[in-house]
Amino acid sequence: MTPHDEHRLHLTRRALFGRASGIGLAALASLLPEQARAKGQPGLPGFPNFAPKARRVIYLFQSGGPSQMELFDYKPRLTEFAGTDLPASVRMGQRLTQMSATQSAFPVVPSKYSFAQHGQSGAWISELLPHLAKVADKITFIKSMHTEAINHDPAVTFLQTGSQISGRPSLGAWVAYGLGAETEDLPAFVVMISPGQGGSGQPLYDRLWGSGFLPTRYQGVKFRSVGDPVLYLTDPAGFPRGNRRAYLDALGELNQLKYAEFGDPEISTRIAQYEMAFRMQASVPELVDLSKEPASTFALYGEDARKPGSFAYNCLLARRLAERGVRFIQLYHRDWDHHGNLPKGLPKVCKETDQAAAALVADLDQRGMLDDTLVVWGGEFGRTVYCQGRLTPTDYGRDHHPRCFTVWLAGGGIRRGFSLGETDDYCYNITADPVHVHDLQATILYCLGIDHTKLTYRFQGRYFRLTDVHGNVVKQVLA
Amino acid sequence: MRWIRTAWFLGFAAAALPAGEPLQFNRDIRPILSDRCFACHGPDKNNRKSLLRLDVEADAKKDLGKGRRGIVPGDPAQSEVYKRLISTNKTLRMPPAYAGHDALPPAQVELIRRWIEEGAPYQAHWSLIPPQRPPPPPVRNPNWSSHPIDRFLLARLEREGLAPSPEADRTTLIRRVTLDLTGLPPTPAEVEAFLKDTSPGAYEALVDRLLASPRFAERMTIRWLEAARYADTNGYQTDGPRDMWRWRDWVIDAFHRNMPFDQFTVEQIAGDLLPDATLSQKIATGFHRNHRTTAEGGIVDEEFRVEYVADRTETTGTVWLGLTIGCARCHDHKYDPISQKEFYQLFAFFNNVPEKGFVYNFGNEEPFIKAPLPEQQARLDWLDRAVREAQAKVDALRPKVERAQAKWETRAARARPEIDWNVNEGLVVHEPLDTPKDLPAEPGRVGQAARFDNQRFFDAGDVAKFNYRDPFTFAAWIRPESPKGAILSRAEDYFEGTGHGLHLIDGKIRLHVIFRWTDLGMRVETARPVRLHEWQHVLVTYDGGMKAAGVRIYVNGEPQELNVLFDQCIWPIETKEPFRIGAGGGLRFQGLIDEVRVYNRALSPQEAAVVPLLDSLTRIAAIPAEKRTAAQADKLRMAFQERYAPAKAKAARARLALLQKERQRYYDTLPTVMVMAERAERRDTFLLNRGAYDAPGEKVEPAVPAVFSNWKPEWPRNRLGLARWLVDRRNPLTARVMVNRWWAELFGAGLVKTVEDFGSQGEWPLHPELLDWLAVEFMESGWNVKHIFKTMVMSAAYRQSSRVTPELLQKDPENRLLARGPRFRLAPEVVRDQALAVSGLLVERVGGPSVKPYQPPGLWQELHGGAGYTPDKGEGLYRRSLYTYWKRTVAPPGMVNFDSPNRETCVVRQTRTNTPLQALNLMNDVAYVEAARKLAERMLLEGGQTPEDRIGRAFRLALARTPRETEIAAVRKALARFEAHYRAKPDDALAYLRQGDSPRHPKLPPVELAAYTGVASLILNLDETVTKE
Repeated sequence: MTPHDEHRLHLTRRALFGRASGIGLAALASLLPEQARAKGQPGLPGFPNFAPKARRVIYLFQSGGPSQMELFDYKPRLTEFAGTDLPASVRMGQRLTQMSATQSAFPVVPSKYSFAQHGQSGAWISELLPHLAKVADKITFIKSMHTEAINHDPAVTFLQTGSQISGRPSLGAWVAYGLGAETEDLPAFVVMISPGQGGSGQPLYDRLWGSGFLPTRYQGVKFRSVGDPVLYLTDPAGFPRGNRRAYLDALGELNQLKYAEFGDPEISTRIAQYEMAFRMQASVPELVDLSKEPASTFALYGEDARKPGSFAYNCLLARRLAERGVRFIQLYHRDWDHHGNLPKGLPKVCKETDQAAAALVADLDQRGMLDDTLVVWGGEFGRTVYCQGRLTPTDYGRDHHPRCFTVWLAGGGIRRGFSLGETDDYCYNITADPVHVHDLQATILYCLGIDHTKLTYRFQGRYFRLTDVHGNVVKQVLA
Repeated sequence: MRWIRTAWFLGFAAAALPAGEPLQFNRDIRPILSDRCFACHGPDKNNRKSLLRLDVEADAKKDLGKGRRGIVPGDPAQSEVYKRLISTNKTLRMPPAYAGHDALPPAQVELIRRWIEEGAPYQAHWSLIPPQRPPPPPVRNPNWSSHPIDRFLLARLEREGLAPSPEADRTTLIRRVTLDLTGLPPTPAEVEAFLKDTSPGAYEALVDRLLASPRFAERMTIRWLEAARYADTNGYQTDGPRDMWRWRDWVIDAFHRNMPFDQFTVEQIAGDLLPDATLSQKIATGFHRNHRTTAEGGIVDEEFRVEYVADRTETTGTVWLGLTIGCARCHDHKYDPISQKEFYQLFAFFNNVPEKGFVYNFGNEEPFIKAPLPEQQARLDWLDRAVREAQAKVDALRPKVERAQAKWETRAARARPEIDWNVNEGLVVHEPLDTPKDLPAEPGRVGQAARFDNQRFFDAGDVAKFNYRDPFTFAAWIRPESPKGAILSRAEDYFEGTGHGLHLIDGKIRLHVIFRWTDLGMRVETARPVRLHEWQHVLVTYDGGMKAAGVRIYVNGEPQELNVLFDQCIWPIETKEPFRIGAGGGLRFQGLIDEVRVYNRALSPQEAAVVPLLDSLTRIAAIPAEKRTAAQADKLRMAFQERYAPAKAKAARARLALLQKERQRYYDTLPTVMVMAERAERRDTFLLNRGAYDAPGEKVEPAVPAVFSNWKPEWPRNRLGLARWLVDRRNPLTARVMVNRWWAELFGAGLVKTVEDFGSQGEWPLHPELLDWLAVEFMESGWNVKHIFKTMVMSAAYRQSSRVTPELLQKDPENRLLARGPRFRLAPEVVRDQALAVSGLLVERVGGPSVKPYQPPGLWQELHGGAGYTPDKGEGLYRRSLYTYWKRTVAPPGMVNFDSPNRETCVVRQTRTNTPLQALNLMNDVAYVEAARKLAERMLLEGGQTPEDRIGRAFRLALARTPRETEIAAVRKALARFEAHYRAKPDDALAYLRQGDSPRHPKLPPVELAAYTGVASLILNLDETVTKE
């Protein structure tokens, strides 16, 4: 985006939010592209840059680093190597976290779980993900993801903002900024979090859905399972809707008087924002009211979907948000950090997430929405082939591994039943088609019709973008 | 749409350029070159795409070979730059189409053509030329104001054909200046007094009163906290707590005392390096310990240590210099004359702190100091004196006690049976192992000992449970038959397991205190092995100080030389394992163990020598005093003092011990603050290739970038020298940057709008002369902060009405020219503080630990798990927002909703958005609902009997003015609706009034109060209420 676009946008927004009373509104309206005048929250002029495949994204972030070896990246030869030290020729001196760097040995440990091929595509999927196996033909797996950070905080920050350093806008904020939303009653960018019950949760941070240097209105709005679904959404006890309406009428009238006297367009913006708040107060409860969902929904997503705060519930809400025109829906599940006790923790977290994630794909598909909804599933890095901590016949753990991990994508312009990328027999290094974090980000934007080099924002004298100065669209995974 | 592009690029300056006025390079040309050309033809040598360099005049005009020159002064047609700009050949045109760049718009090309034609004169970048005080320009209407600020502004307005607005009415004025200078609204009494005071000096007196208030200091501090990235937590991952409020209070105090800004700077950057630095000067250096730190398991220590130093460098650049220095971390700056090497030269100033990258997760990380408040210091002094007095009493009794001991010794030497004693204080486990359960026993050092067969062990049960900060002593007699084994443990039973363990490894005594083997714990061993097949006494002490240096190991009472194998004991240890003797870490013991003792304190070296001493008191007493060993003498003395001394002496010792304990306990509660310090031996600094911690290049020395010429040779090349340079009269940036930021706080936008960037990509100042005038005024006033604020708010420009006319909106929608007064939404903390103030809930108390006001439940848990956030009870709910506990990864929602920076990194530019979430926050947050109820109580109690009067009261409290008829009518409509509702549903009234912890006024009828609460909330939500008019 060039500076003059930015300036024009500024004026455009003034017009849309009623701030431009001094400037000819008609003249400004003529500057607007067609879609910006449609219902919803406007994006940037000229965006999308080309015809999008996906109109929205649901990102199922699996925080902690799911083990690729136990789930997707089938490595039969590991059984041969079991218990032997990871050869130096494989490790190649690459840095390890300080949690395992000083281990005396690096014994290879194969997956405890069996794999089978599924669907016409023949995708190898672990027995831990039986539901996902059923939708294998709708999905593209990228087994050759790699990242730069080896610890949670920098790695999640990198995946979600394109930089390990805090202060950059998140992926969802960039998309909200570029494309706006197709709803006037809900935010463009919504975030939902499920903690998981396995005890392998890592903390999350506001910055992961923050707006960085973009205006704060682009930050993700958390939909919460405790208290108000959106902070401060609910009117106080004893203050019913009728009161609120009378209140807003009076408030509007008073603000209007002020506007008539002072002429500051900011006042009319405020009037409009209070009205949007009022609409949100109606639309959000309707959104989270699952009473009209048929029994078949819960058969599909699992009974957990009735429990606020569960991953399944959030997946179901994600579908409902998608139906209502929200642009970017970001889920986090916090329970994938299996340094130890992997055989205990991993099946648990798979059980918590597998059915609903698969259900979401199937549900979107049966509603005809998968074609224009991009679903992304993955964590911030993978896990090591060698055991961290004590290796016993029944127990093992794995450390963080940035050199290769698996994510999957579905819908919204992505090939169905496909797998990209290969890793070596140790599942340690990538041997074909590496995909960097910035490539994944560029690809997600591409599906939304955005050229990742064009979605920029000038800050501190520089044009920043999600992918910094990197990133290539992974064309192989596109339908 | 060309007008838009021009307006964007050149701002007001060139858009309003009168025809025929000569171009100015800095104003008209540099922004174009910088934005469109410098990335490839600028300071970054590695990215320069050809020989042509446009940021340096000589290079731009030199012969590039074959007679081609980038710029031929006076001759655009021969200038390669111009030819390339207008080329229709896509491969030749600049900026290059092949790299995706658009051509320059014709208006800019024309500007460049004109500039070359006029001789292409260059200017040094404006912000790098030290400011001189310019005379205020002549104006056509000198009657408006004689204030220099106004003269500069008016001259420009007159050129634009605009006139200033009339002065705001007096109620608007007092509310505006009170909010601006104190962050709180004026009270109705203050408004009334001001309206009554018709003297010409009334406004100035008001300003002086506000500047003298501690509220001014509090209001100044919050912006400084944002710049300093101040918070109550570490900021990465688990985001553990820290205590930096003593530094925060230092800032408040400095602003309150109007500390000159140069001193304010020097103390914060380098207070510790000042001669005879005071506690206060050391506390000041907390500024550069406010950056985020990480305690995430597995991080590479050096990677993050480098990150902290880079943060300090970049923050210093932003806060004082207004330069985006961080851009030069990985490569030469692309727009400004700062090379990558120069970044690391600045970095070198901050690179000598004795610190780690991987920090403590549960409190302050070293270096930190105790920072008692004056009253705490007084109490500590009192306790110290009491300890000294108690000691003196003990000493005074010594001759008497010694005489008594001598008498007792003669009796003891004859005692039958023999009497004996061992160190008892703090003994939590004593296993004599005379009859060791399932194990065979053999004669030992005292009675029987247990025989261990490298398989079985002695389970002593749930005793000796220590955490990582608990001091302890482990002691035992051992007679090992194998160089490898476990003596005792309370740990998971494998070698790298969690817990405490005392082992024999290669015959050496080794202590393990482990949370996670690889990175969290402590391992210490003796340099020399013990002997096999011989009885030896082993005793280990740890002082609980989280450092291997706090570990001592004694063999037969002799302190041993130690090797520290791992030293990171900074994480809590929990284990359900029992206390095992002869087992631990997957190892077993081969040989004999006897007399296992565990203490819950670290024994002294004297005690460590006494514990293994098997000579009974009787035997020692029988030895002539001069022939006793030190340990023997100690044993006698200790035993006597504990058991046999005269009651008076015992009491004196008990009192001393009690006071020492009390002193220690009190000392431990004193606040600490992280500070800057210097390593004794300077750490070398290297240029880091690509900014990566593990890619060092050339070694560099501390220095400021070459473009600054004001470094004085007598300054030391350390932080102190750097600080002196920052506030040197000839530093071109610091004063400008500061007055510009403060200007932005008052007027809504800086004279340089890019308050964080005074570099080549920053905005050309709208009023360069005014900026320079203010900067020089600031420095020549002795860096007097209150003076500069007073100067600004005394201007007629500041006092104008903020009414917007269609003409003004058209010509200057952002009010950059200031033909009207500033009008914009209050800062986040002021929105809340004002609501607390007008409702009467505000608790004003300067400083102290951070407080926890209301926050919706579950916000911390959903991101972090754990116990979450517990709001305070009582006054912590009602303190100014400055004191709100700030957890960086889950920042207070009521602040962030209103655009507070999240405090993760330095932010000096305020943003102001206007969103539905703010509306919800103000309407429904319990903090505001409670404030509305309390405001409603004031309406009813203080506002008289009629609705008009009561509404009037609320208006005067919240807006400092009386309502108009139309406004009263609008409010009364809502009031009537609410009254009707609550009359019909009195339960709703009670429910509505139950919000917040403060009690409801018992005498006021709930129905009426509820209706007025609705109205009060409405008034707190008015645009005018949350706006500075």
